[in-house]
Amino acid sequence: MLSTSGSEKRLRFAGICLAAGLLIEALCLMWATPIAFIVFVAIGGLLIFIGLVLYLHSQGSSPVASD
Amino acid sequence: MPQATGLIVCLVLFNAVVIAAMVARPDLTAGRGGKILAFIAMFCLPIFCGLLGFSREMGRSKTTAFCLSCHTMQDYGKSLLVDDPTHLPASHFQNRRVPTDEACYSCHTQYAMFGGLKVKLYGLKHVFIYYLGTPPAPENIKLYEPYSNRECLHCHLGARSFEEGVVHNADPATLPAIKANQLSCLSSGCHDSAHDLAHLKEAKYWKRGT
Repeated sequence: MLSTSGSEKRLRFAGICLAAGLLIEALCLMWATPIAFIVFVAIGGLLIFIGLVLYLHSQGSSPVASD
Repeated sequence: MPQATGLIVCLVLFNAVVIAAMVARPDLTAGRGGKILAFIAMFCLPIFCGLLGFSREMGRSKTTAFCLSCHTMQDYGKSLLVDDPTHLPASHFQNRRVPTDEACYSCHTQYAMFGGLKVKLYGLKHVFIYYLGTPPAPENIKLYEPYSNRECLHCHLGARSFEEGVVHNADPATLPAIKANQLSCLSSGCHDSAHDLAHLKEAKYWKRGT
């Protein structure tokens, strides 16, 4: 996937964070309660944010590949 | 679960599955096409799903069921069903003067710039106190600010029953004072029966025709 193992690790970790955040958000959407709202924003949102930042970082730090 | 929420959940789950596949098989993201797919699945779609879900959650936080899901609010929910036309919340709820699925929010939001944001922050404070603090007894819950006529006038201003009401026009100074928020609709002794929790036990209740 990527030529450097560091950026590959970051990309994998970004994927794990994003998938976990999305799963939490999907679960929270099934319950209309205040605690679900808080978990949606605080945990789901945070995981997605971390995943996005890591994804961008992994892309920024990987060398340009020639296809 | 409403259909729209179901669709959002499906999209979110689909996005999670695609990302999980990329984590499990990194070779999927090799090459230009794979990188474009990764960009869509790991950047564009999560933002889209997050915003869509957030918008859904914000909409849901306005619902009567959401407010009444806290134990502390259940007596307030009961007061919507009191069989007494002079009981203000009950008469608004039962006669659909407010949308019944957003009854609490319709009266307790602030119809001003950033009013919606302000009441959402109050709501977060409620949740914080409910889960991490000591919630007060229902009868001891007070509004953060005196209830403004602005919230009533959002709907009633211009309404015939309000503008031409006998009591409102008995004194020519009354109507301008109400509109200027100098004479409170609620606390001037006119429409002061709001969420009368003290008399809930002996109250008669409206049985919905459902």
